[in-house]
Amino acid sequence: MTGRDDDQHEGGCGDARSQRRDALVQLRLSKHDSRRDFLKGIAVAGAAIAGGAGCADEHFQKHYKELTDEDKRHVFQRIEQETRAKTGVRVKISDPQPLDGVQFAYALDLSLCNGNRRCAEACARENNLPDEPRFRYIQVLQMERGTVDLERGEHYYEPEKVPQPGKVYLPVQCHHCEKPACIKVCPVGATWREPDGIVVVDYDWCIGCRYCMAACPYFGRRFNFAEPAIRPNRINPEQGYLSNRLRRAGVVEKCTFCLQRTRTGRYPACLEACPTGARKFGDLSDPESEIRVMLERKRVFVLKEDLGTIPRFYYFYT
Amino acid sequence: MRSAIGAHQDLSSAGVLAIIGLAASLAVAGCHDAQAQAAQSEPSSTTASSAAGPAVSVEPRAKLLPTFPCSSCHQHLKPNPEKRELKEFHTVRNKELHHGDSAAWCYQCHSMANIDRLVIARGDLVTFDEAFLLCGSCHGDKLRDWKLAIHGKTMGHWRGDKIKRSCTGCHNPHAPKFPAIEPEAAPWPPTGMKAH
Ligand code: SF4
Ligand code: SF4
Repeated sequence: MTGRDDDQHEGGCGDARSQRRDALVQLRLSKHDSRRDFLKGIAVAGAAIAGGAGCADEHFQKHYKELTDEDKRHVFQRIEQETRAKTGVRVKISDPQPLDGVQFAYALDLSLCNGNRRCAEACARENNLPDEPRFRYIQVLQMERGTVDLERGEHYYEPEKVPQPGKVYLPVQCHHCEKPACIKVCPVGATWREPDGIVVVDYDWCIGCRYCMAACPYFGRRFNFAEPAIRPNRINPEQGYLSNRLRRAGVVEKCTFCLQRTRTGRYPACLEACPTGARKFGDLSDPESEIRVMLERKRVFVLKEDLGTIPRFYYFYT
Repeated sequence: MRSAIGAHQDLSSAGVLAIIGLAASLAVAGCHDAQAQAAQSEPSSTTASSAAGPAVSVEPRAKLLPTFPCSSCHQHLKPNPEKRELKEFHTVRNKELHHGDSAAWCYQCHSMANIDRLVIARGDLVTFDEAFLLCGSCHGDKLRDWKLAIHGKTMGHWRGDKIKRSCTGCHNPHAPKFPAIEPEAAPWPPTGMKAH
């Protein structure tokens, strides 16, 4: 169960990839982080493969931020074709851009949450999370009523019915921090904060070192230890390049506020799935938005506020 | 935005319980006020949209009710306001009726004059699609929050058309406590916050 699992699927490409990874890590750790060093690093790793012709495209793919529109067209097409060949599913890769002046934020009414995990499940379907291993971006913690002790929260609870008497529930996902600890530690710049506040990962740039996972105080990130397995009929074909496109083994992923939906004005999947209406989402910079109206009227709190991460994920009680 | 940040910055994690208490007492204190407000507000139509802006619609209810219109039977019956055990019809409703004090009875909410309408606390008749006005005539604080989309489920677009679920779309008006439901499966493998 290692990142090597995907090597077989890629017909030898994976070897090169792992070498690139190693080269990149070493480069990043030993040197400074100018873009030029980076490319050199890739060239080194690239030189290490002898004639991996079919993979050259992906292999030399640039960082998302360096992709021109033309590059994007090629890359998206390649991904669409590869996905078709591998799964038989015709997917559409899109790259919706941040909306002007929009600052996304999320809020959750803890007096309503009953721990049913519909949100986590809808998220998994929307964002093409693997059937196996069954990890989830949204982790719902079950705690004793009257406590908010994250470290002692239980998230493998499996009673017949929820809510259980005497328990309260607190869902946690990436908080899209204004000062994200995860981004600071990434040695290769594979994760960053977009202008609308969404923290994203370039799955083709991530080297799987998992520094970001260690740095995140909210357990917001997940790692693909194994090649993610998803049944073709469960694949959501509407895929964002920076969000729900299919991932491979050895990379880190997380909640992206469903940017493939939210950047086109829709609500995130988790919000629409919540049967208790506990989830709120909107534009923090619009004084009329639902989230602003809520913030102005209710007392809210954030998790581990003392760490200074400034989450964009608020909890409140009604 | 400033007030949001201000609000959370002066709270330590240890203060969470205090907040719960505060929120609760505010809700209670605000109740009567809100009730008066709610009663005065004009009945909102099911679609409230500004001329050019996006539409906010409320999910209709009447058409989802299998026995609506009630008058198709009740036109042949004489209304009987007496609280009693219903033996022929509405036996399930009768059994499950668990709303407010034990005095709750059909004609507290259903209109005796027009059985296809609901009657709100101050005596006005409203349609089943406007049930939120009826609920809000007692639960003013919730109606206020629902109108602001703080309480309740909203679907569609955060920017664009929205669909709001009415009170009775989530709560059974005869037994409004949200029922316990089966949770989705737990995640696997266990590498969560605790293990982290
Ligand atoms: S919650 Fe964790 S993963 Fe998300 S932005 Fe904050 S530090 Fe990064
Ligand atoms: S695992 Fe995290 S820190 Fe490491 S390269 Fe990927 S995004 Fe960056």
